[in-house]
Amino acid sequence: MSDPGRPIAEEDLHAWIDGQLDADRQLAVSRYLQDHPDVARRVAAWRNQKDALRAAFTAVLAEPIPSRLQLDRLIRHRLARRSVIWRMAASALLAFGLGGAAGWFLHNGLQRPGTAAITLLAQQAVSNHVVYTADRRRPTELGAQQRDDLARWVSNRLNHQVAPPDLSADGFSYIGGRLAATPDGAAGLFMYDGPQSVRLTVFVLPLKTASEMPIQPVDFAHVDGCAWIDKGIGYTVVGKLPPSELRRIAEQVRQQLSGTT
Amino acid sequence: MTNSGVLTRIEDCIPALRRYAAALLRNREDADDLVHDCLVRALDKLHTRRDDADVRAWLFAIMHNVFISQLRRSKARPSGEPLAETHESIGTRPEQESSLHWRDLIKALNQLPVEQRTVILLVSVEDLSYAETAQVLGIPIGTVMSRLARGRERLRQMTEEGDIRPALRRVK
Repeated sequence: MSDPGRPIAEEDLHAWIDGQLDADRQLAVSRYLQDHPDVARRVAAWRNQKDALRAAFTAVLAEPIPSRLQLDRLIRHRLARRSVIWRMAASALLAFGLGGAAGWFLHNGLQRPGTAAITLLAQQAVSNHVVYTADRRRPTELGAQQRDDLARWVSNRLNHQVAPPDLSADGFSYIGGRLAATPDGAAGLFMYDGPQSVRLTVFVLPLKTASEMPIQPVDFAHVDGCAWIDKGIGYTVVGKLPPSELRRIAEQVRQQLSGTT
Repeated sequence: MTNSGVLTRIEDCIPALRRYAAALLRNREDADDLVHDCLVRALDKLHTRRDDADVRAWLFAIMHNVFISQLRRSKARPSGEPLAETHESIGTRPEQESSLHWRDLIKALNQLPVEQRTVILLVSVEDLSYAETAQVLGIPIGTVMSRLARGRERLRQMTEEGDIRPALRRVK
C-alpha cells in the first residue's frame, strides 16, 4: 500500500470495503469508483452482501452461553477428569475381583496410596534418567533452543501444562528434553548440565491418583533423587548430587512447576 | 500469573466463536461442539502463550484447525459434502423481514468452497483484518485477498442472477 498512484486492482476494491487501505489509497479507490459507475455497482453489491451476512449471523451474539461452553465449568471439569478415571478404574478392579499384580497394586495403593505411587514414579524417573543421560551424543529429542516446542508437545501428551523449569540460578543449564514412555502413560523428561558435568533430570508424570505427597528423597543403586506429588502430578529430580542440594533443586522445581495453573 | 487475563479474554471471545461456528456448520449442536473442542484445546495450550496479545486470532486459529480435521474425517465417509446443505437454524426466523433474502444468501454461501467461505466469514462477519485472517487460516495474506475476491464475486453472481444450484432452490 506504499504507492497510492498504482492502478486499482480487484483486491483494492475489497480492501476498500473492509477498511484495510491506508488513507491515501482509500481516497484513490473512492475517486476511481466515482469515475466507474459499473464497478461501483459491483462494489455496492459486495458491500450489501457483507452487511447482510453480518446481520444474518449477529443474533448468535445475544444468546446466552450454553453451560457446557462456560469457561469456569470447563476448567473445573478438566481438573476433575483425572481423579474420575482413577475412581472408575478402582471400582472396576473391585467389581471384577482381578487378582495377581493388579490386586497387589490396588491393595498397596489403597493402603499407602502415596508411598506406592512415589515408588512407581521414582522407578520410572530413574530408568529414564539412566538410559538417556548415558547417551552423550543424543541425550535429548528436542534441544534447548526448541524449549517451547517441547513444552507444547509434552503438555499436549500429558494433558497438563508443563514447561522445563529454569535452574540456571542453581548452576544448571537446560540442554533439552523428550517425551518418555512409562506403564502409566507419557511422561516428560527435562535434562540439565551442571558443574563437573553432572547431569540432572526433571521427570513429570501424571499419576492415576489425586494424592499429594511432600518432597522426599528416593535412592537407587547409583543415583539419588527427590520425588513428590502435587495435584495428581508426580515430579522427580534425579542426579548424582548430595541430598541437600537435590532437595534445594526439588524445591526450586516445585515452586516453578506448581505455579503454572 | 497472567492466566486470569487470558481467561477473561477467552471468555469475551466465546460469543464470536459461537457465531463463526454457527455460520460454518449447518447444525447448531455441531457448532457448539466445535466451540467446545476449541475451548478445551485452548485450555490445553494456555501455557504456551507468553502474553495476552492476539487472543482472538489465536482462538479462531485453534477452532479452524479443529474444524479442518473434522472436515477431513467427514470427507472420509462416502456420503460426503455434509456442509453443502441448507442452513437450518440461522436466518430462518419467519418474523424477520429480510429472512428470505438471508436464507438465499446463506444458501449461496454454503455452496462456496470452504476455503472461500472461511475467508468471507472471518473478514465480513468477524471483522478480522486480512493479516489476522491469514494468521488464523495459516495462509499468505495474498491468498486471503484472492479468495475473498473470488468468493464475494461468486456469491454476488449466485444471489443476483439466481444462480443457485437447482436442487437447493427454494420455492417462493
